[in-house]
Amino acid sequence: MAPDTSSASGASPLTPPAPDDKPSAPPVNILPSLIARIYSIAHPALLLALGATRFEAVVADPTKELLSTLPWLTLVQIFYVIVCLPPAGSTPSTETSASAPADGRSSPRSSGPGGAVRHGKHGKRKQHANSWACIWSRLLPALLSLSLTFALATPVLTILLVLFGAPLTTHNSETVLCAAHMAVLSATALTYAHGLDRAVWNEVWGIARPADAVWGSALGTGLGAWFGAIPIPLDWDRPWQAFPITILVGAYIGHAVGSLLARTPLVYGKRVKFTVEEVSETEKKTN
Amino acid sequence: MAGFSSWTTVVANLLVPVGILTFSSGFFPYKPLIPGLATFDQTGENTTAPAVFDKVIFMVVDALRSDFVYSNDSGFLFTQSLIRSGAALPFTAHASAPTVTMPRLKAITTGSVPSFLDVILNIAESDTTSTLAYQDTWLAQLKATGGRLVMYGDDTWLKLFPGMFDRADGTTSFFVSDFTEVDHNVTRHVPNELAQDDWSAFIMHYLGLDHIGHKAGPKSPFMIPKQHEMDSVVTEIYTAMRQQDHLQSTLFVLCGDHGMNEAGNHGGSSAGETSPALLFMSPKFEALGGRRESPMEPSDDMQYYRTVEQADIAPTLAGLLGIPIPLNSLGVFIPDFLEMWDHGSHRLQILYQNAEQLLNTLTTTFPVATFGPDGTTSCASGVLSGIEEAQCAWTRVQQLLSTRDEGDDSYATAGPALLQFLRIAQEVMSRTASNYDVSRLTLGLLITGVAGLLVLPATYKECTRHGSSGMFLMLMIITCGMMMFASSYVEEEQQFWYWICSGWMVYLHIKSQSQSQSQSSAKTTLRNRFGSLIYWSDKCIILVLAITQRLLRRWNQTGQKFAAEPDIARTFFTRHPEIFWGLLILTYVDAGRHLLRSIPIIRILKLGALAPAVLAFTFKLHFVTSESPELLDGTFISQIMKEWPYSLSLVLHARLVFCGLALVVLLALFGKRSRVPRGHDTFHEALHIFLMTQSRATNVPLFLLFRIQSGILSSMNLTGIEVTITTLIFQYMTFFAFGGSNAISSVDLASGYNGIDSYSVVLVGVLTFASNWAGPIWWASQSHRLRPKKPEQDPSALLTFHVAMSLISVMAACTALRTHLFIWTVFSPKYLYSMAWATANHVAVNLLGEVIFSRSRS
Repeated sequence: MAPDTSSASGASPLTPPAPDDKPSAPPVNILPSLIARIYSIAHPALLLALGATRFEAVVADPTKELLSTLPWLTLVQIFYVIVCLPPAGSTPSTETSASAPADGRSSPRSSGPGGAVRHGKHGKRKQHANSWACIWSRLLPALLSLSLTFALATPVLTILLVLFGAPLTTHNSETVLCAAHMAVLSATALTYAHGLDRAVWNEVWGIARPADAVWGSALGTGLGAWFGAIPIPLDWDRPWQAFPITILVGAYIGHAVGSLLARTPLVYGKRVKFTVEEVSETEKKTN
Repeated sequence: MAGFSSWTTVVANLLVPVGILTFSSGFFPYKPLIPGLATFDQTGENTTAPAVFDKVIFMVVDALRSDFVYSNDSGFLFTQSLIRSGAALPFTAHASAPTVTMPRLKAITTGSVPSFLDVILNIAESDTTSTLAYQDTWLAQLKATGGRLVMYGDDTWLKLFPGMFDRADGTTSFFVSDFTEVDHNVTRHVPNELAQDDWSAFIMHYLGLDHIGHKAGPKSPFMIPKQHEMDSVVTEIYTAMRQQDHLQSTLFVLCGDHGMNEAGNHGGSSAGETSPALLFMSPKFEALGGRRESPMEPSDDMQYYRTVEQADIAPTLAGLLGIPIPLNSLGVFIPDFLEMWDHGSHRLQILYQNAEQLLNTLTTTFPVATFGPDGTTSCASGVLSGIEEAQCAWTRVQQLLSTRDEGDDSYATAGPALLQFLRIAQEVMSRTASNYDVSRLTLGLLITGVAGLLVLPATYKECTRHGSSGMFLMLMIITCGMMMFASSYVEEEQQFWYWICSGWMVYLHIKSQSQSQSQSSAKTTLRNRFGSLIYWSDKCIILVLAITQRLLRRWNQTGQKFAAEPDIARTFFTRHPEIFWGLLILTYVDAGRHLLRSIPIIRILKLGALAPAVLAFTFKLHFVTSESPELLDGTFISQIMKEWPYSLSLVLHARLVFCGLALVVLLALFGKRSRVPRGHDTFHEALHIFLMTQSRATNVPLFLLFRIQSGILSSMNLTGIEVTITTLIFQYMTFFAFGGSNAISSVDLASGYNGIDSYSVVLVGVLTFASNWAGPIWWASQSHRLRPKKPEQDPSALLTFHVAMSLISVMAACTALRTHLFIWTVFSPKYLYSMAWATANHVAVNLLGEVIFSRSRS
């Protein structure tokens, strides 16, 4: 399963087809505050722990349990993006009013690649100073991203799940709920951090974003879900081999691993790139 | 050899068949058999037990599963009344895998457990090395006593026992769609033979029920009427046995050779396949007073009444008919029949003969083990296993027999011990039924390994040169190889290919996106209205490919775990036949259009080229009408077919199609040699129609999907190695999408006789291969059209490496897991399929195509 691609095609119909000349957004950094730094590491672990506690219940009744845990997962994700991630510039009015002085430095998706993200102590101080407006400036993009996640990313992910082999004639509620969980895991942070930036979504569709916590977790969710299909054909006849469970477990683990791994200096900022063309081109020349 | 990059590839491809042969000779050994016929011990002071019956009527109903006779919704009403009256003794006879006819008949007649090799020989019908002419069977024993044998039904019997029958009329089992004629051919002989008194064995083998199972499954509406028909044969015979004097002491056996699973196929080891019914009938049995409830519920999955081994039939028949037990029998006399003798000494004698005969086979197989009165093995010490347990049981028998008093109660004491020994010996022997030649297995592995090593440098160079796709190929080969060690992944191999294909499509998508990204920056100025359309089609074309792949995946459910779930070919099309016919016609129209377009001849003659396409379409209609008329029900086609004047036979019709296609290819090759790629186009289109002819009708629309997929793939400008990987994945994926699996039962034999009226190994083999490997063959041909114009890479080394590696992993799995429970049901069939992949698909299709087309290119 590669659901990450989904969020892209979900968003793409919104944006009119226009030439995308401007350079795409640089990788997103976690906010510099201490809470953000700590929680951004604790968050994947927290999700995994929560998932582990609910595992038995999901095996017993997937539909019911996935539905009842969905609001909690959403809350946790919203909390995570608000605490740890810089919001997109797609809601300029509130954002500028809130953090105008710190702009250019703290809002990550600003202008050039240089504006990436060296957050100083200013941002932190400012946030404390104007905390209500600050929270509002975060809550609005968070709610927007939430609606996009459920209205667009979930249907698109459902379609992708089916294309990647999920049953179409049965298990519909499971598929949709699985897609919803994956959408919350992957698309919430993407839409919160990037809004409807066309270039970014183009990159997401082409799986060509530079690695960061947001993209890493989205890609990890998809890859994890794909690998999650492996145990299904085994003849162990365990109840957890039923359709959405292994996929979701894979997605959760992939999400955690992806979000942590993508922030390590080794991977950060790198893109998934296949070396087919260049190498064969040079080979041909040497031949 | 223009197609090969170097001599190493050639040598490697020569080594692969050698490795296969070496490994097979060690893996499928002929078992050591005791030659000759068994005779009664003439010197012994013990008198042999008198025969209870002097004749036997042996009625085999192919695929007669236990519940067809015993359950509540059975059509065998008269037979059930016989069970209630005690005249019929019912059993469930466990048939071990492979559950196909020939090995099962061997088990029934010799009492032995046949080797897996018999499965292949079962398909290669004409083979004569597998005959039982020189083996000891109850038929040979009856013949030796001067009896005459008659046989009607499945001609497998005639092949197994050449020259054994005095009167016979064989019917072939390969025209699966015939439900009635094949059985009528047997039944019409019954009154005549019942009137004769010269035979001592009258054998019938009915095939119709099996054919219904193959075509429509055990719940088919044809099934109950067929059971009624079989029951009426039982009635006729049993009535004759009651009324006619010369049939007074006749034993009537009704049995299935194997069962069937819920899809109606057999070959594996599910409960349905291994549980045929077995009944012994005679008015004499009523005296035993064994009245049983019937119909009844099964105690376990398909297990009704007492479950016995199928091999037990031979010693039981031998005992009841008063003939020696066949030498290689591993059967145990069914104890229920011991009561047919009043004297305990006779009962003991029957069991003792059985024990001596089994002991004989035991000592042949285990020459080191000593059996005898002096063999005081330590029976006391804890848990014994295998041969030691048998030795111990035999010692106990000896002790009991030596201390026995004169009189009838010796049976009461020694009987249970004898039976216990018999059961232990049977278990030990069937477990060690096949001995592997491990040194040959290793040698075969080594030879294939050398083949793999030879192409390794070329493969390594290719793969490192192409970075990511080379890496993908290597990971695919490694994971696929690892999977061969897990029985459920072997059974569900299609899941792997669907899974890896989805991953590969994501790879292709990322690559094409990054390409279009770099290109789009170069030509942003060219963007206009149509540009945006192209832009979106560029972005989303992969979705179309994914949709077609998803359809492919659900076309035929295959494997074990999900085989019974609804799919397109069997479930959807039977519910919506008009959609099926629409798609079928569309596929043929498309095929005809492409054929017309690809032929490089002038206008008027071109229309003649349409003839093969039209012929192929009418042939398919013709075939469906006779093979699976249920697809026609209530459609406009059925109206047409009613009016259709049938003047052609199916055989002639198929020949016309093949000749027409051959003519088209010849025209393209020699008519106008102007443009070479055209030649390949024509060939591909002719092949397209040929493969459609060879495929099941419900699979024909898949070729339309192939057309769409290849169109998308060719728009992606794949590099050479990407084409190789894509076609490799699609070859395996489509094999399974056509309904293939790694089980013997999924081999589709229905189209193997297109245009052939007599059996010929080569022709039937080629046609059967083409109908089962239609997808792989199509993609092999398509790969040459997908290749970039300038051939930068030669795929032979890569393909050879893949084949060698998959063979090695399957061989290694078979060697390492040769004592595994599933070795004969899962791993050996997989090995057989790997053989077909490596020899027929790799060498004959992929490499030959490579040689031909690289020559025509250069």
